[in-house]
Amino acid sequence: MELFLFYAFAVLAIGSALLLVSLRNTARSLFLFFITLFGMAGLFLFAFADFVAITQIMVYVGGVLILMIFAFMLSNKELLQDLQHGKNSLMAFTRWQAVFVSVGFLVVLTYALWQWDSEGLPLWMQQNIQDGNIIQATDNNIPQLGIKFMTEYVLAFEVISIFLLMALIGASHIARKEPEND
Amino acid sequence: MISITHFLIVSACIFSLGIYAILAKRNAIMILVGIELIINAAILNFVAFGRYDKIHYGGQVFALFAMVLAAAAVAVGLAIILNVYRHYRTINPDQITDLKD
Amino acid sequence: MLAATPHNTLLYAVIATVCLPLLAFIYQAVKGRSAQTGIPSITAIIGSLLLASYIAVQVWNQPPIHFQYSWFTLGENTFYIGILLNNLTALMLVLVPLIAVPVHIYSTAYMQGDAGIHRYWMYLSLFCFAMLGLLVVDNLLLMYIFWELVGFASYLLIGFWYTRESAVQANKKAFLINRIGDLGFLIGIAIIFSEFGTLDLHALFSENGLLSQMDNLSSTWLTAAGIAFFIGAMAKSAQFPLHVWLPDAMEGPTAVSSLIHAATMVAAGVFLLARIFPLFNEHALLVISIVGTLTACTAACFALAQYDIKKILAYSTISQLGYMMVGVGIGAYDTAIFHLLTHAFFKCLLFLAAGAVIHEMQHLKQHVQGDFDPQDLRNMGGLKRWMPKTAILMGLASLALAGFPLTSGFLSKDALIISTFEWASERGLVYQLIPALLILVSILTAFYSARLIFKAFFGEPRLPYFHGVEKHPVHEPGASMLWPMVFLGICCLFPLFSLNPFSSSHSWILSGLAVPHSFAAIHALHLLIPSMLVTGTVLSITLAWKWYAQDKYPLNAQSALMLAAEKQFYINEFNQRIWVNGILGIAKGAYWLDRHIVDGLVQLFAGCVQYISKVSSWVDTHIVDGLVNGLAALTYWLGNIFRQAQNGKIQSYFLAAFFTLFMGLLYLIFS
Repeated sequence: MELFLFYAFAVLAIGSALLLVSLRNTARSLFLFFITLFGMAGLFLFAFADFVAITQIMVYVGGVLILMIFAFMLSNKELLQDLQHGKNSLMAFTRWQAVFVSVGFLVVLTYALWQWDSEGLPLWMQQNIQDGNIIQATDNNIPQLGIKFMTEYVLAFEVISIFLLMALIGASHIARKEPEND
Repeated sequence: MISITHFLIVSACIFSLGIYAILAKRNAIMILVGIELIINAAILNFVAFGRYDKIHYGGQVFALFAMVLAAAAVAVGLAIILNVYRHYRTINPDQITDLKD
Repeated sequence: MLAATPHNTLLYAVIATVCLPLLAFIYQAVKGRSAQTGIPSITAIIGSLLLASYIAVQVWNQPPIHFQYSWFTLGENTFYIGILLNNLTALMLVLVPLIAVPVHIYSTAYMQGDAGIHRYWMYLSLFCFAMLGLLVVDNLLLMYIFWELVGFASYLLIGFWYTRESAVQANKKAFLINRIGDLGFLIGIAIIFSEFGTLDLHALFSENGLLSQMDNLSSTWLTAAGIAFFIGAMAKSAQFPLHVWLPDAMEGPTAVSSLIHAATMVAAGVFLLARIFPLFNEHALLVISIVGTLTACTAACFALAQYDIKKILAYSTISQLGYMMVGVGIGAYDTAIFHLLTHAFFKCLLFLAAGAVIHEMQHLKQHVQGDFDPQDLRNMGGLKRWMPKTAILMGLASLALAGFPLTSGFLSKDALIISTFEWASERGLVYQLIPALLILVSILTAFYSARLIFKAFFGEPRLPYFHGVEKHPVHEPGASMLWPMVFLGICCLFPLFSLNPFSSSHSWILSGLAVPHSFAAIHALHLLIPSMLVTGTVLSITLAWKWYAQDKYPLNAQSALMLAAEKQFYINEFNQRIWVNGILGIAKGAYWLDRHIVDGLVQLFAGCVQYISKVSSWVDTHIVDGLVNGLAALTYWLGNIFRQAQNGKIQSYFLAAFFTLFMGLLYLIFS
């Protein structure tokens, strides 16, 4: 049952991503992106990363995706014209280059995984499995994560907060309306 | 319990699709989506490995950090796209060729 | 080694003494152009003076007090930062601000209205800070740092009027010559460190320090270290032949000159020698005395023929520093320090008075729109009519310089010369030359200081502007210039140093320093030498009166000897010719070599190549070009293809990047 659900989510994520990249309509692509992200969030759950999954939905679906749709709508008009021009670009040269590189990556990664799998798990993982230091389905991750954030990773946490603040200020600065005379 | 190889295969697929989106799409927003897909693949790897690390919770913590980075990247990237659109009246990367010498 | 608690107030007092001028410096550096009053500097230096007096009272005639904290560790050697207070330090610690306070007050009037006055106060504070720091620190490394800082601050002050070409040249010269000395100091530090493994003054030089325990130390190294340190002191204290910077340093403001000459810069060299005195062995000491004597003689001769009022004073300083060096060299550094102290007061006064005179001459020059050098003695004369108080004060200081009885100079100079005689009489006839020369120099000193006074203040005015001008611009300096001078004038008299005006042997300074002399005292000399000196002085002053005040000058001012003395025996020209021109000559030679031999070879080679190329050109046009043209066409065609990769589209760049990454991954996995 667990495996079945995993496959269902995996197929959901990969399938919608595949559809996403092959569709030409950007609006549909963006909604498919939402489904992909949802599927990914589901996959996170199978790694017992419930908090990450929730954050994924909140940050990506609630923030990133909305932002993208928003940007899409702002630049929509021209795009439609663009689409009408390159009708049969599926056969275009660049597209086949892209297909070659991405499939190449997939093959290489899969091959590398296969090789890695046959070598067995790394030592630290084996050690942790032996000691029982792996996250179980019954574990409550959220308080642990909170503690880790405020103790072990507090520096990274603060740095990344500042970074996010700077990025947002920068983004709003870049995106502001220029004065007319410019 | 799902073996880690499953996760890694799925993340490899998503990663490749992200690369494809970056290379082939005719819309700057979709390039950004491709980047997000790659980052999501990375996050999936983080949590998959993070399951074996109960002491430090490194995988999950850094998955969250990666998410924050991705959000920041999207914010800045979209701002740039908006500006590009204002300037060139298009967001098709094929038509923005000012990098050419 | 660690600080005992009761002394903690003392420690803070020392730190405050040193750092107050630094604070003033920082404050004025931060305020920049708006800090013109100099009040922070004056307040700081007065505070330093008060604290230094407190410290001196606490430290005087007590065992040396040593504070030490670890600073940093380099390998196995820990360096310490610390303070070493003994009688010598206490004395100098009071002297420096005591001289600096009148100079500061004097400066408020003297530098008034100068465009760069904010810089002036800043540099002055830095100068005082550096000197005070030099006095209290307890190891050679820190001392070296402050030593450099003193040099740097003096560089800034000498070049204070940096728009004048001569000032820039002078401060460059001072800096370069001081570098020679600094090199000596550094070599000395290196030798000490390699021999003893520590730079701590207390550990090295105290009564049962490392130096007294190590009898087997190679004397060559000890001599080398002593001479290296002495070279450092030579440059700072302007000893022959490294004295050339000091006369040129007159380009700075006169108040600065007085500070440099009296208490800060030149005193640093003598202080250094006194502080590390146990280091010097017989050989090094002999070198020091010889150089000191040589300096005293040559500088006195140079001073005789100068016309610039400040230059005379500069040479007299060099000459007196020569005395101090002799004092160190004969092992009686207490007399050297004693002379340094008395000299500080009267030389400072001389400079301040000379500054006042120059100031007034400058006024006169502006008033009559005349074109004359306000520092030239030949343009003065008869000034006592308008500046009687300055004349009296300067005369008093000159008497002290000449070593006249009842003045402080008499005490210290006699003490020094008597010690030298005692030292020489134990050694042999050749050594007697040194005290004999010193007596000669002393008489010369009396002569040239009398010449200075008589030419400037007595006789008839030499400039036409002095006659028939109703409202005369030359007058006494204002109160803020006069009172510091009066104060210094009082300090030139004997009671400050010894209650007995004719004998220095019981003065509190000599008994406080208590240096064990290596020679026996000869009591007969204590009467003989002062009377000899006084007689000589009186005679030479009388002669100077005849010659200069009454204008019965018998010698030819243009004679070769006089000119040579005025040009300081052409030592600058010598330096110019030997060092500067020598190096220029070498450079020119190298240029000629380069031009004619290296270039000639190259040109010969070029000619050959040209000929060969002519031959090959024919081959080229007819045979190779066909190939090349074909290749060029191919390249053009290929380039055209690759050009398309550079199409400005971001996705093609992405593609290239990912493709490279992909290939890299392939390589990593399959190799």
